Amino acid sequence: MIKVEHLTKEYKRVVRREGFLGSVRTLFSAQYETIPAVNDISFQIDEGELVGYIGPNGAGKSTSIKMLCGILVPTSGHIQVNGLTPHKDRMKNTRQIGAVFGQKTQLWWDVPVIESLKLFRDIYKVSEAQFKHNMSLFNELLDLHEFQNTPVRQLSLGQRLRADMAAALLHNPRLLFLDEPMIGVDVVAKERLRNFIHEINRDQKVTILLTTHDMVDIEKVCSRIMIIDHGRIVYDGNIAQMRAQYGKQRKLVVEFEETIPDFSVPQATLTHSEGRKKWFAFNRFETTPSTLITQISAQFPILDLAVEEPEIESIVRTIYQRETESTEAETK
Amino acid sequence: MKIFWSFTRQAFQFVSVYRFNFFAEIFLTLLRMYAIYCVWRILYTQRPGAFSVDMGQMITYGVLGMALEIFVWSRPQMYISQQVKSGAIDTDLMKPLDFHLHMLARSTGETLVGASLAVPALIIAYFLLGVNLPPDIGTGLLFLFSLGLGYLVLFHLNFLLGALSVVALDIRHISWAYYSVVRFFGGQMVPLWLFPSFVGIIAGVLPFQSTYYIPMSIYIGKFTGVEAARAIQFQLFWLVVLVLTSRLAWGWAHRRLVVQGG
Repeated sequence: MIKVEHLTKEYKRVVRREGFLGSVRTLFSAQYETIPAVNDISFQIDEGELVGYIGPNGAGKSTSIKMLCGILVPTSGHIQVNGLTPHKDRMKNTRQIGAVFGQKTQLWWDVPVIESLKLFRDIYKVSEAQFKHNMSLFNELLDLHEFQNTPVRQLSLGQRLRADMAAALLHNPRLLFLDEPMIGVDVVAKERLRNFIHEINRDQKVTILLTTHDMVDIEKVCSRIMIIDHGRIVYDGNIAQMRAQYGKQRKLVVEFEETIPDFSVPQATLTHSEGRKKWFAFNRFETTPSTLITQISAQFPILDLAVEEPEIESIVRTIYQRETESTEAETK
Repeated sequence: MKIFWSFTRQAFQFVSVYRFNFFAEIFLTLLRMYAIYCVWRILYTQRPGAFSVDMGQMITYGVLGMALEIFVWSRPQMYISQQVKSGAIDTDLMKPLDFHLHMLARSTGETLVGASLAVPALIIAYFLLGVNLPPDIGTGLLFLFSLGLGYLVLFHLNFLLGALSVVALDIRHISWAYYSVVRFFGGQMVPLWLFPSFVGIIAGVLPFQSTYYIPMSIYIGKFTGVEAARAIQFQLFWLVVLVLTSRLAWGWAHRRLVVQGG
């Protein structure tokens, strides 16, 4: 579905000199610095996949998505989206894809939602039957009818995103790019949007590339995760693999029958202690929970137990940090 | 064609949101028409034979020029510049529309909304200020054709400026000067035949006269026969040049496009 090879996008930026004289000099002889926003990335996405595309701010996520949409022209490298080169066949390409950019709306600000959707119908040459069918689907899944006559500028953020989602899917695209589609949305609306994304991926086999900062989104809906940082892909694989590879650390939470002083257990470190509860961190390749429990229960009576998996967020944080360190090392 | 209508419909809706504007604009247009009417009346009483057309023709020219203020209503270059600055240009490029034609459709919609204002103002002016009708139906039709060409020439000049804004980002200052040039060299208020020779020569080769001067001169019967044909040829020539340049310029700008923010 998507094939990206050695894709690079560089921006030129004027280096501003300081002070008034400096800005005058910049006016006459500007110096440019080249910033690689996306630096030689390659990946492939197959039909029907739901891929989480994550990375810190400025990592190059949006830039790469905009190249996949044909909005930006790559500096070098190849992109194929369903057999098309996006920036060369921009118009054809946009017919087979849909996109929601969470921070901006594709709808027209001053007109009611339904008018915008009708204009989309005309632009994408959607047949009347298909339009009706999709509208009833959106009414069912997104409750579009509740606000379809309201101008976009009067919608709440959650409503606006639902309307944008409808606009992106009106022409039944095979591929959907969601660039931070749930930014600033409340918990309930978020859950609904997540379910909706999951459903269209499962029922209509729409391939989805989802950019988000919310790891819960990734955990709940994505089958695969790609992490980009400093313009490079630093991880590409499924979530279980990532856990296995990076999430060596587990936590054992023990609740004792009474408050007891801190003590140590071999191959585990006490990280936190609160009331009758204590947290022990351990590497799951060095020891097992059952060994630890046996050791602990031999000393003190235990009331309750739990083993905590590392949160995906902390794993991702580890990956980001590792990447930052290695880039810093490189520049030195 | 259907999309064209959709955009027009949208532009209409946009205007209906700001309904008060509609009547205020008609009133303002009438005021401008009246002002230019007074100026020419006074000048003609002072020196009746100095302007090579009669007073009725000249007043018609002036009033028409004010009605065609609607040409500068639609400013695609400002739209493009704003979209690039805010980063919203990606929502335009996400649509399966040729960007150049998309802008043309938008602009045409806006100009047609303007026309819905100019026509009532002209009808009122016809009764109050004694504006001439075109001498015959043929001239009227030729005028409309030439007017269409004039609109297209101006649109493409605007579009080129818009393509420039992709790289230059801020074109507000240029835009202000640009409209003075359009109005002056276009002959919106003062017809080109009254220009001093040197300025007249410059105005004669620039594309701006296509917008106001040529269609309006045809309307009042100043350009007839061969002269009218040559004027329309001039418009067509510039239109072809500008369409080709616009296509190239947009390709150039698109490669340099940077989407701001997110």
